[in-house]
Amino acid sequence: MKEIQREVTSRSITQIFYVVAVLVIGLAIGFFVYQTTANEASKYPFRLGLDLEGGSHLVYEADVSGVDSAEVPELMNVLKDVIERRVNVFGVSEPIVQVESSSFVSGEVHERLVVELPGVTDINEAVAEIGKTPLLEFKLVDESVPSTDNIQIDGNNVSADGVLTLDAGDLSGEPSYIDTGLTGRYLKHAELVFGQGQGGLSNEPIVSVEFTPEGGKLFETITTEHVGEFLAIFLDGEIVSAPRINEPISGGGAVISGGFTAEEARDLVQNLNFGALPLPIELQSTQTIGSSLGAEILGKGLQAGAIGFVAVIAFMLLWYRLPGVVAGVALIFYGLVMMALFKFIPVTLTAAGLAGFILSVGMAVDANVLVFERMKEEYFKGNDAREAARVGFARAWSAIRDGNVTSILSAVILFWFGTSIVKGFALVFGLGVLVSMFTAIVVTRTLLLVLPAVKESDNSFVSKLFGSGLNK
Amino acid sequence: MFIIRHTKQLLIFAVLIYVAAFGLIGYFGIPLGIDFTGGSLTEVSYEELPQKMVLEEALSPLSLGGYSLRATTEEGGREGYILRTRELSEAERQSVTNILTDAGVDGTVDRFTSIGPVIGEELKGKAFWAIGAVSLIIVFYVAFVFRGVSKPVGSWVYGGITILVLIHDVLVPTAVMSILGYILGVEADVLFVMALLAVLGYSVNDTIVVFDRVRENLMGNRNEKERVIKEAGVTRTETTYTLTRPFEEIVGESVSQTMARSINTSLTTLLALVALYIFGGAVTQTFALVLIVGIIAGTYSSIFIANPLLIAIARWQSKKNQ
Repeated sequence: MKEIQREVTSRSITQIFYVVAVLVIGLAIGFFVYQTTANEASKYPFRLGLDLEGGSHLVYEADVSGVDSAEVPELMNVLKDVIERRVNVFGVSEPIVQVESSSFVSGEVHERLVVELPGVTDINEAVAEIGKTPLLEFKLVDESVPSTDNIQIDGNNVSADGVLTLDAGDLSGEPSYIDTGLTGRYLKHAELVFGQGQGGLSNEPIVSVEFTPEGGKLFETITTEHVGEFLAIFLDGEIVSAPRINEPISGGGAVISGGFTAEEARDLVQNLNFGALPLPIELQSTQTIGSSLGAEILGKGLQAGAIGFVAVIAFMLLWYRLPGVVAGVALIFYGLVMMALFKFIPVTLTAAGLAGFILSVGMAVDANVLVFERMKEEYFKGNDAREAARVGFARAWSAIRDGNVTSILSAVILFWFGTSIVKGFALVFGLGVLVSMFTAIVVTRTLLLVLPAVKESDNSFVSKLFGSGLNK
Repeated sequence: MFIIRHTKQLLIFAVLIYVAAFGLIGYFGIPLGIDFTGGSLTEVSYEELPQKMVLEEALSPLSLGGYSLRATTEEGGREGYILRTRELSEAERQSVTNILTDAGVDGTVDRFTSIGPVIGEELKGKAFWAIGAVSLIIVFYVAFVFRGVSKPVGSWVYGGITILVLIHDVLVPTAVMSILGYILGVEADVLFVMALLAVLGYSVNDTIVVFDRVRENLMGNRNEKERVIKEAGVTRTETTYTLTRPFEEIVGESVSQTMARSINTSLTTLLALVALYIFGGAVTQTFALVLIVGIIAGTYSSIFIANPLLIAIARWQSKKNQ
C-alpha cells in the first residue's frame, strides 16, 4: 500500500506541474483577451467585418480589354492607389481597398477592386465620391477609318491655331480612336490656368496637366510620330477636345481645354490631383448595412455563442461527469485561444465567421467525446482511470486525426472558394479544428492524467464519477 | 444486431431517401438567391409598418419587372420588408429607397445589396467546383487512410461508400432547402454553400469513426498464416489472413461500439447550432438549419447507410467468389 502511494505521488509531481502550467497559460491568455478588449485603445482589438460594424462594400470591375495582360497587375495597383487616396478624402476610419482577380474557374478573367468603407452607410455618398475620380485618356483620332468623315468640321470647330473642339452635335457617327496608352496613370499634377488671350484660348479656363517623366516621354513619342493628326482627350469616356498635333511636344505637359466654366475646371483640377483612373471601372455590386442592424446581428451572434457554449459544457458535465469537467476546462481554454488568435492574426469577424466559431465550439469537444468513450471502455474492462485515459487517447487518436483532416481540407477549399465573407468563415472554421485538436491533446490529456486513479470495481463515489450517461 | 438483420430494408429505405430528395429538388428546384442570380435586395424597417398593398402600389410605376416583397422582423424587433428585385441602376435604387422610406413612419433602409449577374454566375461556378473538389478530396483521403485494409472488401469500397454517404448528406439538406424555398420563400445564398461544405467535411467524420473501428476490429479478429514459398531459387514469405468471425458480425460490433460517440459528437455540435438557430438572428438562421439537417443526415447515414452497404457488398463479393 505504501509502495503504491509513493509511486502515485512521484508520478503526480511532474504532472501536477504540467497542470499548473496549463492553467497559468490559460489564465494568461484569458487576461490578454480581457485586457485588450476592455481597453479601447489596445493594439489588438477584435476586428469586425462590415456586416457587423455597419458600412458599405463596393465591388468595381476594371475594364482591362484594351490593355496588355502583362501590364494588368501594375495598372490594378495604380488603380488601387488612386481609389485609396480618393477614399481617404472622406475620412473613413479604416477603409480597405483590395484588388481581386477572379480565379481560373470562371474562364474569363475579371479584375476587380473591392472597396470597404466601415461606418459609411450612405451608399449614395460613397458611390458619388468614388465616381468623382476622373478617367483621363489620350487617344489618336483614327483617320484611316471612314467614320471620321462623319465628324463635321467647319470653321466653328477649329480655332485659329488648329485646336479642334467637338461637341455631341458634331458627331453624327462613331469616329474611331486608337489607344495610345497614355492615361491618367502618368498624371503627376494638374493646374488651373487661364488662357489670357494667348493663342486661340482667350480668357477661357484651361487645365494644364503635368505628366510623370515616363508619361512625358510617352507623350513626346506620340506627338513626334503623329504630327498633323488629332489627339483626342477623353474624360470619363467622353471626348473633351481633340487638338491637332502641330509639332512634337517635349515639355512633359499638356493642356485640356473643353469650354469649361471656371468652376468645372477647378473641380476637374482638384479631382485630377487626387489621381486619375488608369482604367475604366464599373460598379458591379454594392452592399450596405446600417450600423444599428450590424450591432444587433453582433449582439445576437454573441448571445447565441454564449448559450451554445454553456449548453455544450452542461451536456459534457451531465454525460461524462468528472471527465466532463475536464472537457469544460478544455473548451474554455479553446475559446480563449481562439479569441486571442482572432486578435493576433487578425481575423476580421463577420456574421458568417461568428457562426463558424459557434459551430466550432460544438465540434471542439468531439475529440474529447471520442477519447472519453474509448476511455470508458477501458475503464469498464477493469483498468484504473488513469490507465484508461492513456489507452483511450492512444486508441482514439487515429479517428480524431482522420476526422479532422477532412474538416481542414474543406476549410482550405472554402478559403480558396472565397469572396471575403467566405474566407472569414473558412479561416475561423479551419483554425477552430486545429486549435481544438491542440486543446484536446494538451489540455484534456494533461488534466485527465492527474485525476484519481480509481477503478470501476472500487464502487466508490469517485469511481462513479468516471461513469457516463445513464449508468449509475 | 439491427443493421445486420435489416440490411435490405435499410438499403431500400436509403434508396427511397435518395429518390425523394432528388424528386423534391427536381420538382421545386433550388431557390437561388441574388448571390447567385444577381439582383438587388433592399431591407427597410419602420416604426409603424405600412400595408404591403401601399408599397406595391407605390412601386408599380417603376417597372421593376418581377419582384418579391416580403414582410420581415428585423434583429432589433422593428418590422419591415425585404424587397428583392433585378439589379437596380443607381437612379432606380434612389427612387426605390425614397418610395420605401416615405411609405411608413420613420422608414430606414438598413441593408442594401446589389450584385451584378457576372459575379453571381461566377459564384455559382465556384460553388459547384468547391463542392466537387471537397467531395473528391475526402474520398481519396478515405481510400488512402484505409489502404491497408483489403480483405474482404478493398479500400476503394470504403472510398466508394463514402461518396454515396456524402451525396446523401448534401442531398437531404438541399431537399429541405427546396421545400423551404417553396413554402417560405427562403433563398439559398453563399452561406448555404458554406453550410453544405461544412456538412461535407464534418459528416464524413462519423463514417470515418465507424470505418476506423471496423479496420481495428478486422485486425484484431484475424489469424495470420505465413507460408514460405521457394520459387526458382527465390524464397519469399506470403502472409494470408483469415477472419475468425464473419465480416458482418465485425461490422455490427463496430457500429455498436461507436454508436454512442457518433451520436454524442453530433449532439454537442447540434447543441451549438440550435443555439445559433434560435438566438443567432435571421442572417445565419438558414445556415444553422442547413447544418442541423446535414449533421443529422450525416449521423444517420454513417450508421444506417454506410454499414449496411458495406455488409451488402461483402455478401455480394463472397457470393461471387464461391
